[in-house]
Amino acid sequence: MKLTLPPRISPQQFDTALKAFAGVVGEGWVMASDADRTAYADVYAPGPIDQWPAGAAVAPSSTEEVQAIVRLANEHKVPLWPVARGKNLGYGTAAPRLKGSVVLDMGRMNKVLELDPKLAYAVVEPGVGFFDLHDAIERAKAPLWMSVPGNGWGSVLGNALEHGIGYTPYGLHARNLCGMEVVLPDGDMLRTGMGAMNNNSAWHLFPMNYGPTWDLAFSQSNLGVVTKAGVWLQPAPETSLELTWDIPEEDDIAWVIDTITPLKIAGIIEQNVFIPSWLGKIVILGQRKDFWDKPSAMPEWRVKELLKEHKLGYWRVSIRLYGDENVNKAKAEVIKAAFKRHLSAPPFEVWWRQGEEKPALDISLGTPSAVPLQMSDWVGGRGAHLGFSPVVPATSEHVMGQLKRSRKIIADHDVDFYASFTIGGRFANNVNMLMYDRDNAAQIDNMKKLFNALIDETAKAGYAEYRTHLGWMDRVMDTFDYNNNALRRFDEKIKDALDPNGIIAPGKQGVWPAAYRDLKQEGRA
Amino acid sequence: MSTSLTKRLALGAAVVLIATLAACKGEAPAPGGPAKGPGGVPQFPPYQMRAEQPVGNRLVGGRDPQAVFEHQCGYCHLPGGMGTNLLTKQRIMAGQPPETGILANRTDLTADYVKAVVRNGKNAMPPQTRVDMTDAELDAVAGWLARKR
Repeated sequence: MKLTLPPRISPQQFDTALKAFAGVVGEGWVMASDADRTAYADVYAPGPIDQWPAGAAVAPSSTEEVQAIVRLANEHKVPLWPVARGKNLGYGTAAPRLKGSVVLDMGRMNKVLELDPKLAYAVVEPGVGFFDLHDAIERAKAPLWMSVPGNGWGSVLGNALEHGIGYTPYGLHARNLCGMEVVLPDGDMLRTGMGAMNNNSAWHLFPMNYGPTWDLAFSQSNLGVVTKAGVWLQPAPETSLELTWDIPEEDDIAWVIDTITPLKIAGIIEQNVFIPSWLGKIVILGQRKDFWDKPSAMPEWRVKELLKEHKLGYWRVSIRLYGDENVNKAKAEVIKAAFKRHLSAPPFEVWWRQGEEKPALDISLGTPSAVPLQMSDWVGGRGAHLGFSPVVPATSEHVMGQLKRSRKIIADHDVDFYASFTIGGRFANNVNMLMYDRDNAAQIDNMKKLFNALIDETAKAGYAEYRTHLGWMDRVMDTFDYNNNALRRFDEKIKDALDPNGIIAPGKQGVWPAAYRDLKQEGRA
Repeated sequence: MSTSLTKRLALGAAVVLIATLAACKGEAPAPGGPAKGPGGVPQFPPYQMRAEQPVGNRLVGGRDPQAVFEHQCGYCHLPGGMGTNLLTKQRIMAGQPPETGILANRTDLTADYVKAVVRNGKNAMPPQTRVDMTDAELDAVAGWLARKR
């Protein structure tokens, strides 16, 4: 990908800035060739990959180097786009919101700094991926489990900071963060929580500050660069029991939600319960053309045929229990009784006990995998996906409303329906997976129209997304419209106070520093 | 990794693939996933620990290429990984033995081909940055993968 300069920076100024960065990290860790820029582009971009072009990338190996780069970026007025491992697939990968930004790739800072089996936490740098932490735990034989998202290739901290979700009792990843070290936009350093005191041993244990608590202000944020953080881990359970039901009809999701939510809120179910629709089980079995060979959306009759053929329900619910065998047995009885009121078929039950090999590919057991990304093969060619991800209250009324609304919009755009609801407690995350071939311009154009319609119609109904792709960060921020967009006005006031040159991640989540606010219309999908 | 383990794991991948193909043909999988055998135990290789990142300067050669491969490419290219699964399917369709879905078993790779795929990506595989794999690491790994040619 050819060089795109940051706004108002000449080629010579850019070159001078990169040389200054090289003086900090060494020439080998400043990446500015056309091939480098392509590697930092959004591989799943809904459109040409140069729509959100990085100017270069720089990879520090220590907090001190991060500080030095941030100071130089201020001096040279070159915006930085920090990424942990740059694997935010479906949301922009490593690509920056503002063209020409230099990706601050934290991938080299990949140390597991602490692993405490007694109090069940780790302290990690941003470059530590889920596989890395998993292997570190195994090597230390620590009786700890992590919670992993669908794509285990990414960073533990990056995923948590982007509000990623997993499927264990520790599945709300941002909640596991405790005590951070942050390089601020002027190069100063902050430690949050108890870490604000020198040598405080409760830094990664007590989740609040003395005074205002800032940890999550650095999540989905452009207020600083997190260089390390504490992550709470789950004590490895003695046993785990998985109960699986196939749920026959689309509308059955209503009773499923009303059955699971109270059990989750009461703590009988501890994990985040993932409920994928039928396509979630089919995508892994082959390619779309094996099941439906026309470009139009798979019609209802074919869906019914496939479900019958594969003996699948419209939805599948797997509930996993963790802990002592007797406790799991007792909980299972409560859950089975609740399901039996609606469905006579008993669940499929699988026990796992300490000492046994964990079933591969089961991310609810905290084992990382990149296999779910195989779904990109579904459409064939250079397959990609976007996720439309609104949050709704976890009741049948709201979930059914959301389901019917998005289903109709998706059908109106002649696209296959592939949704999941993840019950995280009082709320459910609804992810609508939109898969496309990166080389099919008409399909991409249709996806973009569909995505816009989904955002707008869902906002009208009173729901918002929890996370979105670069190209829609502003459109989604616009939906937070209370009191003349008070949230964005507040975010931007803080942004301008902390980052007067606007050099950390301008435009992240629709928050623009004064220095680049005139450019906020650019780069919208 | 021992040869017998490699064989067992390749076999595991093939069994999954066959189960998958059977499912495509309409033979019903057990509830709980498409690839579960008797007792619900998935016929799939267990999680593969990757080698630790070998110590030393990543920008110069001389580090163990197999360890670099396992550490950096092992997210997807050890037995049971996403890359292995997709490649196994492609290899079987192309009339090749399933165990050649595991890159380390290939005898027909050239160093230049490996480098091109790593830097440009291929189908579901994204291009790798020079932080993912440095040029020196890629030289070593590409040479190692092409060693049996």
